[in-house]
Amino acid sequence: MVKASAAPSAAEPSELSADSRARIEREIEKFPMKRGALLAALHIAQEEHGWISPALAKTLAALFEIPPIEVMEVVSFYNMFYDRPQGRHHVYVCTNLPCSLRGARGLLRALESHLGVRAGETTADGRVTLGHEECLGACAYAPMLRVGPTYHENLDVEQAKRLVDALE
Amino acid sequence: MANVTIDGVAYEVQDGRTILQALDDLGLLMNGVDVPHYCWHPKLSIDGSCRLCQVEVKGQPKLQIACNTVVANGMEITTANERVQKAREGVMELLLVNHPLDCPICDQAGECKLQDYAYEYGLTHARTKEPRRPLAKRAELGPTILLDQERCILCRRCVRFTREISKTSELCVASRGDRSTIETFPGAPLDNDYSMNVADICPVGALTTKDFRFKIRVWFLDEKPGVCTGCANGCNIHLGVANNQVYRYVPRRNDAVNDTWMCDEGRMSHKRIGAADRVREPMLRSAGGGLASAKLDAAIAAAAAKLRAATSGGAGVVAALGSAHATNEDLFVLRRFCEALGTETLGVAVPSGRADELLIKAEKAANAAGARALGFKDAQVVADRLRAGAVRALIVLGDDALAVLGGEAALAKLECVILLATHHSPLERAAHVVFPARVAAEKLGTLTNHAGRVQRVRPAVEPAFEAYAEGEILARLGQALGLPGFAPGQRYDARDVSKLLGEAVPAFAGCDVDAVGDEGRPLAGAGAR
Amino acid sequence: MALSAPYVTNYLTQHFADDAFGQVDGYVARGGYEAARKAITRMAPDEVANLVKDAGLQGRGGAGFVAGLKWTFMPKGADKPKYLVCNADESEPGSFKDRILMERGPHQLLEGILIAAWATGAEKTFLYIRGEYAFAAQQLERAIGEAYSRGYLGSRVMGTALSHDVVLVRGAGAYICGEETGLLESLEGKKGQPRKKPPFPAQYGAFGMPTTVNNVETFSHVPHIIRNGKEWFRSLGTEKSPGTTIFGVSGHVVRPGLYELPLGTKLDEIVFEHAGGVPDGKRVKGVIPGGMSMPILPAGQLDVPMANEFLRERKSMLGTGGIMVMDETTCMVRVGCVISYFFRDESCGQCTQCREGTGWMNKILNRIERGAGTREDLDVLLDVAGKLEGATICAFSDAAAWPVQGLLRHFREDFEAHVREQKCPFPASFEL
Repeated sequence: MVKASAAPSAAEPSELSADSRARIEREIEKFPMKRGALLAALHIAQEEHGWISPALAKTLAALFEIPPIEVMEVVSFYNMFYDRPQGRHHVYVCTNLPCSLRGARGLLRALESHLGVRAGETTADGRVTLGHEECLGACAYAPMLRVGPTYHENLDVEQAKRLVDALE
Repeated sequence: MANVTIDGVAYEVQDGRTILQALDDLGLLMNGVDVPHYCWHPKLSIDGSCRLCQVEVKGQPKLQIACNTVVANGMEITTANERVQKAREGVMELLLVNHPLDCPICDQAGECKLQDYAYEYGLTHARTKEPRRPLAKRAELGPTILLDQERCILCRRCVRFTREISKTSELCVASRGDRSTIETFPGAPLDNDYSMNVADICPVGALTTKDFRFKIRVWFLDEKPGVCTGCANGCNIHLGVANNQVYRYVPRRNDAVNDTWMCDEGRMSHKRIGAADRVREPMLRSAGGGLASAKLDAAIAAAAAKLRAATSGGAGVVAALGSAHATNEDLFVLRRFCEALGTETLGVAVPSGRADELLIKAEKAANAAGARALGFKDAQVVADRLRAGAVRALIVLGDDALAVLGGEAALAKLECVILLATHHSPLERAAHVVFPARVAAEKLGTLTNHAGRVQRVRPAVEPAFEAYAEGEILARLGQALGLPGFAPGQRYDARDVSKLLGEAVPAFAGCDVDAVGDEGRPLAGAGAR
Repeated sequence: MALSAPYVTNYLTQHFADDAFGQVDGYVARGGYEAARKAITRMAPDEVANLVKDAGLQGRGGAGFVAGLKWTFMPKGADKPKYLVCNADESEPGSFKDRILMERGPHQLLEGILIAAWATGAEKTFLYIRGEYAFAAQQLERAIGEAYSRGYLGSRVMGTALSHDVVLVRGAGAYICGEETGLLESLEGKKGQPRKKPPFPAQYGAFGMPTTVNNVETFSHVPHIIRNGKEWFRSLGTEKSPGTTIFGVSGHVVRPGLYELPLGTKLDEIVFEHAGGVPDGKRVKGVIPGGMSMPILPAGQLDVPMANEFLRERKSMLGTGGIMVMDETTCMVRVGCVISYFFRDESCGQCTQCREGTGWMNKILNRIERGAGTREDLDVLLDVAGKLEGATICAFSDAAAWPVQGLLRHFREDFEAHVREQKCPFPASFEL
């Protein structure tokens, strides 16, 4: 029996652009030991590719002269580093205590049903990865969420939906 | 030095040592003074995460972890009181929150530190009602090791081993919190010359070797002290024996030889003992040209006859090749046999291969140094005499020498080739008489490692077929030939030979099988490890 | 949008409403960097450290260790490089004060760092900011650039022999990187797993060099102490806890926000007078006074002065001054679920008790909230919390235990009601 072949997956990122490399070099200069710049390098690599694939981890490992597994364990430890492809926009709702006291979880549920995904999942069109996070330091402006680096505070459900819809 | 008291007893310990190190130095750890622990290991960096080794130190309000508390003069340490006990119970109960109750199907049962300490120090019943986290239960970390992530207690010994000892860095702890797991990098499996050591150091059944998995329950095993014969390092081992069979080798600690480690190849060499290609009976070359099985007496008689014939014109025509696998005792008998025959042509061919900076030595036999110390020269001396046509009778131990000697063709012209071998080999084709020899695990004797350390082997199993120590065969042959020093009617006793060796060869003084014990002893004048 | 200034200001935040204060010119126009000039040109390093020590400035990152005293732990010689670390990893739930200090007062922070550098002989400061504070990081990068271009940083600071560098380093989302040695590990490009102590950072810190770690707010107080002196500083706050702090008030209050007030201000005053009390006519049920690690206080115990020496008597602590107010509808078991989830998620996983205990407590609390709890569970919960105290590499484990102990101490009835009724009896509570 002939099996249908799997749809070709997006090519796994493996190289760093010259710009990324230059930025990483500048970060390395900040530290007395090269390895200190690893977190910065991972941020930079993710800005370029969205996630850290094993191949990209190897490239970074070579740059920092450490075994690839040490890059992988760092990626796995921190919330902001991803070991699998992500949506174009990260939408993270804070669900810690002060935010929950002011309805954060209802907001998250509303976004889940609005987007048709559960927290931790990415929309089918690859536009949005929805998630929840611990305290983002906006406790008095609750409920709130962040879209990548940008905070959106003092939200109600409707505002949150409009915000998310406006993301391309 | 620092003076400390531990449970009221005064000790003098080296400065700069931690409490656990000091107890280990004194030989008391879990052997008189119990400080249970997981993450600490005498040969790895200090981790301090399992928290089991908490002890009370007078003057400190909190309990201290013994693995990371450096001794100070006047320190008073209590390892067993209600407070310490409660702390241990706490750690044990928390470990069992996620560790699965796999004992009935887990290889580690019977030698599991979680079982042992739960029994000794834990609560009698765990109170958790929560489902345990499901993780990979049979992850192939590499060609030799399987990982059960659910059983892992995250002591990180395996990770530290790959970073500090094998220096191959295949393992990490990924993620954090109670989602932490041991992982390898995709495409970079746990695959190094020492990989199986991680199963030894894993306190629980998270890491197991494919070789031993599900073979036998460890409580059926008799763990007999011995020495690995894979190379000249002579790593100390325990042979795990049941049903007259060796099921596994595990390293035995000897800080002067191998610390707590052994290489995978050496560990797997236990398979050679019961291998299908063992020589199982004496054999004689028949008139038709093939080798036929024979009774020992007949073979001895035939060998003696052939030797007498070959040496009828003078003894200088005999050459002997010892084996670097044979014991000092076997080789000593061979030497005395040759001396009695009047020949000095003694050689040994030592197989060699790759070495590394950790344990693996280039010489792939356990007694090369012993052979040399007993006067066996490089096999080339025998090959030269063969080539010169000066040899009529050749006595060969082992099977490593064929190539050096010049191949079967070089041996074809000899009148008498007597072979004492443990395993079948092409050398047999040139032999007139073949005697089945015992491997180190089947006899009493000593082996000298690369650093000149004399180490004891004792019979762990009896061969299921006919096999003899080489020394015994040669003794009988000497008796049959009526050679001086081979009194008729004397039963062969390796222990006697061992003592004689110590008296006859100054380097071996005080190195007989009893004197060297299980730890070994250097030859007189031997350097450090 | 976040506040540009606290609702109540004092010396730290009085100029925050003015955008210019965050720029170097505006900062200098208000006397900025004069305290640093005074310290560097007219005081010896020891003098500076002793002044700050005698002023009694307690670290504002949660541990409350006297800052000037910590500075004196740095070795005196110059044989190895010494570092400062500014802990800008603010991740304690309920705390958002360091954020405004960085967004609106970056030069004040840099000036404090500069003075500390002079006092300790540190050649470089690593300003470690949590990865999620992107806007604050932008402000800091800008301010650092301005400081360099005006000669407040770099070689020959303000024309003196002092040279000091400040580099901004971003975290990547892990609460445990706010723990001093977890931060150092992260700074070195590794997982942020706290180190065993000893050695302490002053002996073996960043990259193995002597290091002092201080919080953003701690540094921010320093220029004011140098400018105005220790008597002035001690005139605010309490005898044991001088100065102001920026309290963050959140949860069920009319005016959630930031309030810079002297230490020792009463908690009920902050909640009811400054923050407007509980909205919709509801009563307060409980208040967590110092960030989520600190044990909750019940309605009847809010008349406590906000300073460690008083809070300790009520079995709580100042922590980071993150005040979270919960009204009468709040189910305290749900609060326990939220809190225990946080600690379970953020545990670095090294120590047995913390890794397994945070998970276990979270599971028990979830089960009780679902209505499947028993009375025995409450005893087990308290017992497990007890096992997490005082026995691990760092204090995260204790921080995970305290809230559970606090909830059971003051709101055991909520838990028992769940057990009795086999469901959550607070339908009006915030949604979990």
